[in-house]
Amino acid sequence: MMHHVGLASLSALLVVAACSKPPAPAAPAPAPAPAAAPSTAAADSAARAAARRDSLAALARADSLERAARERAQADSVRAEVQRAQADSAAAAVRSGLSAADSGVLVDAVHFDYDKADLLAAELPRLDRKLAIFQAHPRIEVQIAGSCDERGSDEYNLALGERRAAAAKRYLVAHGVAADRITIVSYGKERPLDPGHTEEAWAKNRRDDFVVTRGAN
Amino acid sequence: MSRAAALALAAALALPAALAAQDSTPPAPTGVRVGITYTPGTRPSIAVLVAGGAALDSVRTILGRDLDYSDRFEVVAPPAVAAALDSSGAPNYRALNALGTDFAVSVVASAASSADPRAPGAVDVLLHDVRSGAVKNRVTLQVGDAGGSALRRAVHRAADEVVQWATGAKGIASSVIYYVADGRIWRVDPDGADRVLIPTAGRPSLSPVRSRDGRTLAYTAFVRSGQPIVLQDLASGRREVLPGTEYGMNITPEFSPDGRRLAFAHGDENGTDLFVYDLARRTTTRLTVGRYYDNLSPAWSPDGQRIAFISTRAGLPQLYVMQADGTGQEALARFDYGFTGMTYAPEWSPDGQAVVFHREVAGTPQVFVLDLATRAVKQITGEGRNEDATWAPDGRHVCFASSRGGTRLLWIVDLETGRMRQLFSTVGARLPAWSPGHASLEAG
Repeated sequence: MMHHVGLASLSALLVVAACSKPPAPAAPAPAPAPAAAPSTAAADSAARAAARRDSLAALARADSLERAARERAQADSVRAEVQRAQADSAAAAVRSGLSAADSGVLVDAVHFDYDKADLLAAELPRLDRKLAIFQAHPRIEVQIAGSCDERGSDEYNLALGERRAAAAKRYLVAHGVAADRITIVSYGKERPLDPGHTEEAWAKNRRDDFVVTRGAN
Repeated sequence: MSRAAALALAAALALPAALAAQDSTPPAPTGVRVGITYTPGTRPSIAVLVAGGAALDSVRTILGRDLDYSDRFEVVAPPAVAAALDSSGAPNYRALNALGTDFAVSVVASAASSADPRAPGAVDVLLHDVRSGAVKNRVTLQVGDAGGSALRRAVHRAADEVVQWATGAKGIASSVIYYVADGRIWRVDPDGADRVLIPTAGRPSLSPVRSRDGRTLAYTAFVRSGQPIVLQDLASGRREVLPGTEYGMNITPEFSPDGRRLAFAHGDENGTDLFVYDLARRTTTRLTVGRYYDNLSPAWSPDGQRIAFISTRAGLPQLYVMQADGTGQEALARFDYGFTGMTYAPEWSPDGQAVVFHREVAGTPQVFVLDLATRAVKQITGEGRNEDATWAPDGRHVCFASSRGGTRLLWIVDLETGRMRQLFSTVGARLPAWSPGHASLEAG
């Protein structure tokens, strides 16, 4: 009996799966099988086909609305997670024994051009201001986390984010910070600050974040 | 059956004119030389016939879909008179032949099974050659106490047997696809059913790939201490960090075809480079030496001799190849500096003749196939973003992540007919990895 119920619900699932396909395949599909389903009552069959098309279209509409809602929810949860991480990072900087102003300077993000890991001249003052804090608080340690915009593959952006984090670390080390005070990590495009698809969103996402991993005291 | 009888049956079934008129000569279009008849893409037709209760109906549904998704048949639904099986379970060869059906698959309760036709303990799946009116082959499925998943797997295996018997080619119904959604790793059958969450370490977990023996899953795990490559035993769930990947960024793992080595990319302050780990000797060999540029996404040739990979050594990421020991590095797909779009995620075809990858075209990624004999590249997709393609074990289907339709989903394309289908409707599914055969040991 259990067996029977299982199969029935399985069939129901299959029906749902079949109906949630998009109504029109994007690529050239093979011609429908000729003479596959001959009918004795063409009109009846046409009516049934029309009803089926309507119900499929309704399902497709419902499906796309549901999908859009799920995408929004996913974007919201990513945004919430990133904001939480930034708040955590700021709180960690404050807990670190630094003044609020110094904490702000230390965690101030550095931004990059598209597909580039070179430090931009306009961004160097952000790194230079951090140098003074590293000097004044020799126990402070940070992690630099590189991130990317949504363009480029998931995997390539991990490598690109690593280069971005490494570029900032090299600059700080070249200006006197001990290498063992800085670790790097890449989040690729897994942690966008802005999940939008505009140049403005992308510019925010191409960045190094700075997280205090060891306090000043 | 005489031609008159066939035509009479056809008329009785109100067949469309095209089929009923198959013996008459169509008028030749003017300006066209009538001679050799060439019918591109003609595939044998196959009907799935069932005698029995609801249990067998679901077998028919799964089997029919599997055969359809093989893209090697026209799956037809004959009218009742031709679809009926007689009391001995034999199909009506004459009627099916008159309809032009090439093959029939019958699904009947096995003689050795329980008397209750609604819940047979075993079913026989027989492939019939309709023209010769003979059984070509048969297999018995044990479906007695099988739950939904076990039944589906048994039917998928039967579908692959049917494909093999009828066409001599390898089927894909019993293969599986691993993928990432919501930062976690999942497995799904190629008909879009039986989605299963694989519990992994770290979130997100990315770039899943399974060893060919089906025992081990490798992936990149985001954990507090870094991004190690985790080797996870699929039967026990036991996890091991790949030695040498405890620190830094470790991405794009790829098992060698013999399963003895694992190639991966390790990134640190000096850039990202390719390494290969020997699982038996527990040694790591470095394959590339880049300073501040990236080498990633290794893809083994099926003979294990070569590795295709992505490198930014000339600026934008492009496709390269080397011997498996790291020697002889050269460009694999021709590119024009500053013109050819960024290229990513190669995967070598199972027959070794082609490499699939994705490349930006006017800023949008599209799936391409590189023919290794001619070095010609062919663009497969054009609508939306299309990324991270993976070969089916049959070497003619490719699964990829696509944003066509507005959201990122997994799609499958048959490279021979161009037919595309959405695998299932989970939003944000990405990084698919197609793997041959279910692992019998695999839990869940």
